[in-house]
Amino acid sequence: MTVGGGPVEEEKKPEGEGFTFPPDVAQLGLISAVIAIVIVIFPGLPAIIKAVGVIFALLWGADSVRKTSKYGLGTGVPSIGVLAMGYGIVGALVGIAFGKYVSIGTGLLQVQPGVLVGVIAMAIVGLISGVLSNSEKVIGMKIPGLERGMMELGMAGTLAMLLQLSIVAGSLNFDVVIDKAISNGFIAVMFVLSMMAMFHPYNACLGPDERRPRTLMVSVEISGLLCVILGIALAATSTSAWGVANGVLLMIFGAFVWGYFFVKFVRTAMREAYSVVGTGLIKTIE
Amino acid sequence: MEPILLIVCVLAGGVLASLGVHLLPVGGAPAAMGTATGVATGTVMLMLGAAMCGLFTAASVATFSGCILIVSLSGAVGSWLMMGVTMLMANLLYVFGTGIVPVSGRVDVDPITGESQKEYKTPQCDGHGVPNVSYISGMIGALLGGFGGAIMYFALLNYANFEPTMAGVAAMGIFVSNAIIAAYNIGGTIEGFQDPKFKRLPKALLTCGVISLLCGVLVWVVADLGGLGGVM
Repeated sequence: MTVGGGPVEEEKKPEGEGFTFPPDVAQLGLISAVIAIVIVIFPGLPAIIKAVGVIFALLWGADSVRKTSKYGLGTGVPSIGVLAMGYGIVGALVGIAFGKYVSIGTGLLQVQPGVLVGVIAMAIVGLISGVLSNSEKVIGMKIPGLERGMMELGMAGTLAMLLQLSIVAGSLNFDVVIDKAISNGFIAVMFVLSMMAMFHPYNACLGPDERRPRTLMVSVEISGLLCVILGIALAATSTSAWGVANGVLLMIFGAFVWGYFFVKFVRTAMREAYSVVGTGLIKTIE
Repeated sequence: MEPILLIVCVLAGGVLASLGVHLLPVGGAPAAMGTATGVATGTVMLMLGAAMCGLFTAASVATFSGCILIVSLSGAVGSWLMMGVTMLMANLLYVFGTGIVPVSGRVDVDPITGESQKEYKTPQCDGHGVPNVSYISGMIGALLGGFGGAIMYFALLNYANFEPTMAGVAAMGIFVSNAIIAAYNIGGTIEGFQDPKFKRLPKALLTCGVISLLCGVLVWVVADLGGLGGVM
């Protein structure tokens, strides 16, 4: 699988942990999954750390969307991002339902590995739908790696949804989440913005000159916007143990991430667009 | 009794969503240039829009009615209206804006009205606009899809005792997943039941049946473990 669209490999700022940004598809999936899973099982963490988890989960989703829809889905790139979040909602509900059964400690030090049941359930559903969609005897889409792609999308969608529910509700207890994040309609905002963060990067950047690092920047940028909106929601409702500061910090963090990656993306796009040669209009016969 | 009803309703909703998608006239990008039959957008957007309208009407009716048939039919009417208006407006734009004749590209004679299609089709094109047969097919599809979405909503609301918002969002999540799998089956564009691609329907029904059965079981697990009562 090719990484990046051409011979032009611009120097990239290494983004922490000694990895060059971004690592290849498998590495990015693994790193994002581990980071998001570690963050999601501690619902007592401050929102800003959970926001890092959301960014990684959505980055993983966007990378899977890019990997899968590179071969042409026939229905446009957005469909698979919507599919991921459709699975994500069901998975998040399963996760929070299981959360209280496998839970250690209370308060800020609570660990809830039970929510990962939702992630596993959606991995299974995603794998089955991928196998059925790719199988010659059933739908027969003939896309290499669709099984893995759909499985990853289900997992990434569930993790992103769980983390966002946990940010807004400040907890992953079933009743609290339903009361503070679902029944007041925040889940609809999360649904739309997270699917935007998954499908929009590749949908907007695809083309002959598409380059993976540049595409993934858009995903991080949209995740920043999502953090700003979640921050406003959090500051307005102020549900967690960390008070209003939690929401305000999340807003500042989101605005910083959005601004940084927006500027970076525009600069990269400008620099790389410079090499496009205009061929002029087709000559008419005199 | 109720877990079985819940799973059966979710299964029915998913299968009806898949069937509805196959009946919609979806044109995709070529239709945006007027070179293919159907409404110029993707399957997901059309079906999501129709399902959302259906869920709105179904949710409004569900506040004062506990009858599964009335709620489901009100959802069907909501998405019916949405698709009807969408196809009508698309046709107005095609006919008076682009100046093309609504014509089917897959059949030579309209199977319902008997009107000849072939002479009006521009060469090298896949048809234009939304002809009569596609319009009728789209209306049937929206009716079935909206009914499926609303029956799922009703089951989640009353058999799984979800909150109205939670039931709506979960129904939408399961519905779009099935609609997208169905969209993959038709490869993005379809004209309606007269399209040869419609013969691929059983494959999508099988896949969507499996997916929605799994989702139904998961939803039942959520209701059971979440302590929402009434399902135990």
